[in-house]
Amino acid sequence: MLLFVVFFLYPIISGLFYSFHDWNGVREPTFVGLSNYRWLISSRDFSRAMTNLCVYLLITVPIGIFAALGLALLVDSFTGRWANFFRNAYFLPVVLPAFLAATIWRWIYAPNFGLLNMILGWFGIPAVNFLNDTGTMMYALIAVDVWVSAGFNMVILLAGLKNIPTELYEAARLDGANKWQQIIHITLPMLGPVMFFVVTYSVISAMQVFDKPWLLTGSSFTEYGGRRGALLFPVMDMMGQAFGELKFGLASAYGFILTTAIVAVTAVMYLLGNRKETK
Amino acid sequence: MAKLNMITGGIASLMAIFACSTAMADDVTLEYWVFSDFAQGDALALQETFIKEFTDKHPGVKIEIVGKGDDDLTAGQVAGAASGNLPDVFMNGIRVGAQLAEAGVLANLYDKWMAMPEEYRAQFDKNEIKNCMPEEGKLYCLPYTGYGSLLFRNLTVLEKAGIDPSKPLTTWDEWLDQMKKVKAAGVNAIPDQSLVFNSIAEMYAISGDASTWSIDWDARKTRIDPKIMAKVLEKFVAMADLNSGTSRNDQATKDLFITNQLAFHTVGPWVDPTYVEAAKNSGLKYDYVLIPGDTAGKHGGIKYYEFVGVAPGKNFDISWEFASFITEKEQMVRWAKLLSRYNSNAAAMNDPEVAALPLVAASVEAVKGAMDVLPPYFVKAVPNCYLSTVVDYTSATADGDYSPEEGAEEMISELNACLAQ
Repeated sequence: MLLFVVFFLYPIISGLFYSFHDWNGVREPTFVGLSNYRWLISSRDFSRAMTNLCVYLLITVPIGIFAALGLALLVDSFTGRWANFFRNAYFLPVVLPAFLAATIWRWIYAPNFGLLNMILGWFGIPAVNFLNDTGTMMYALIAVDVWVSAGFNMVILLAGLKNIPTELYEAARLDGANKWQQIIHITLPMLGPVMFFVVTYSVISAMQVFDKPWLLTGSSFTEYGGRRGALLFPVMDMMGQAFGELKFGLASAYGFILTTAIVAVTAVMYLLGNRKETK
Repeated sequence: MAKLNMITGGIASLMAIFACSTAMADDVTLEYWVFSDFAQGDALALQETFIKEFTDKHPGVKIEIVGKGDDDLTAGQVAGAASGNLPDVFMNGIRVGAQLAEAGVLANLYDKWMAMPEEYRAQFDKNEIKNCMPEEGKLYCLPYTGYGSLLFRNLTVLEKAGIDPSKPLTTWDEWLDQMKKVKAAGVNAIPDQSLVFNSIAEMYAISGDASTWSIDWDARKTRIDPKIMAKVLEKFVAMADLNSGTSRNDQATKDLFITNQLAFHTVGPWVDPTYVEAAKNSGLKYDYVLIPGDTAGKHGGIKYYEFVGVAPGKNFDISWEFASFITEKEQMVRWAKLLSRYNSNAAAMNDPEVAALPLVAASVEAVKGAMDVLPPYFVKAVPNCYLSTVVDYTSATADGDYSPEEGAEEMISELNACLAQ
């Protein structure tokens, strides 16, 4: 209970308190009512960050889960040493420090001599400026994100797959079901609760996206989000407001809006999940 | 006899306790935060030499040096001010000066400064001291290291494009002409200058100067002149098809330059050690010149400074002594020689051995014609929307979304809206 109050309740309540104040983190906060919220909602960067977040969520979550499920099914089909090898190989990006992962990908995406452009060059495709062309930046980030998150989700889904009784597959095979039918009619329904966790976790993580776009765009507290703000996300803007401008009241308002959005989305997903179970 | 021994022993013990308590009263440990690249290799060794020389003269003073990245320095200093646990002496960039002053991170050094002998005060670059003084009676920093941006040229690429590098580059038109020749030879001319605020400022200085680049805080309006900005944006449109798509700060830009895939790189002198290494190891042929302006004799580029600040508090006096020690000529001469880099101690820059260093000599000239990157300093924190607006409208104009005139108008209107918030 004490831990809950200290590490969960107190930060939320103090964040809410400061969101109604003008506060630079040092001097006494001054009450400003709703003006931080009003400022944020009318701010160009806030609407851009929220739009980017929606696009990112809609693409990265389904792709990430499909990739993780595919990898889990693939690894599940192996046994012994190979299963261990692939499980560890796909999990490696999860344990890689974010700055190292970003450095690797910045090199892969580099224009002119980056690995990806080199491969495109072999096929006569002109070089693409993945991290500075506003048309490709979001997809470049999503690829990195899927690469990192797929391993983690794969391990969770793999644990779910191992819990599905093999008798169900044997019975389906006897009934003449092919592999695809087994996945649709046995694997996916049986993975329901695990999948619910993976989807919820992926959505919550995606809503807090920060380190990957920050590092890929070489951001700092005063300049962040990449070319024309194509990779500007709410947490990045919140960090900029807090440590670049020392507007901790505004950053708290940002944080509170984001927290409310995360809680609302999670609640909706939980309700939908519960309704499905009841049916 | 035993009594005498006891009395003598007692007196000796009391004296020892007294001596010990005096020493303890004098003992002080200063925390000294520096940029992370000043806390490694040769730079760290020299900083430790300065610390040793200072502590030898001040027994009982211990100084702990801590290296931090740019963002960590600012965040740590603000968090320190909030928790009452500030580092005693620290560095930072002049651009965040207003935030730090507002947060109470910086002590007012004015009285201490005025109490110093004239010969000490006369050592510093007067403009830089002025930058540390938002108003009369307030001095928030001692200017320390710095730079004026230079145009690094890959001579192999220039020769490949049929350009004679020995012919002086005097105007923007000549430079643009060379960029076009380089591109025609199949090589990237320049990094994408529209990606970073500082590189846009470098380009603005080609046509304008700091008087039309700064902010009028009383009116909360930008001083950017729409006609000059339109002229600058024309340059970005002209460079759109000539650039490498990488920013001036990207590692990829340095790699392109080193591998003869990039002709020009406008940047500070910190890239020089990398290029010196490449010259030794892979035969890179390069030089550096001043960034040409619109007219002969005018230069582009920016100047920027890192400063030493002192925290208010119980260690203020000894911290000031240390700050004034590390910024004085003798130390700055050694610093300049080690790094072959410009600093804001004008007396050190005039030292014959320092002035003879080619990179220092070029930097001194660059600083003379360069523009302060975001003045006025230590007055008010420039909102992030100001920086992002400049970068966004420059990129959008380079992408063809606006004409240079429209881009300049929209940018200025958005900048004023940002400042009015």
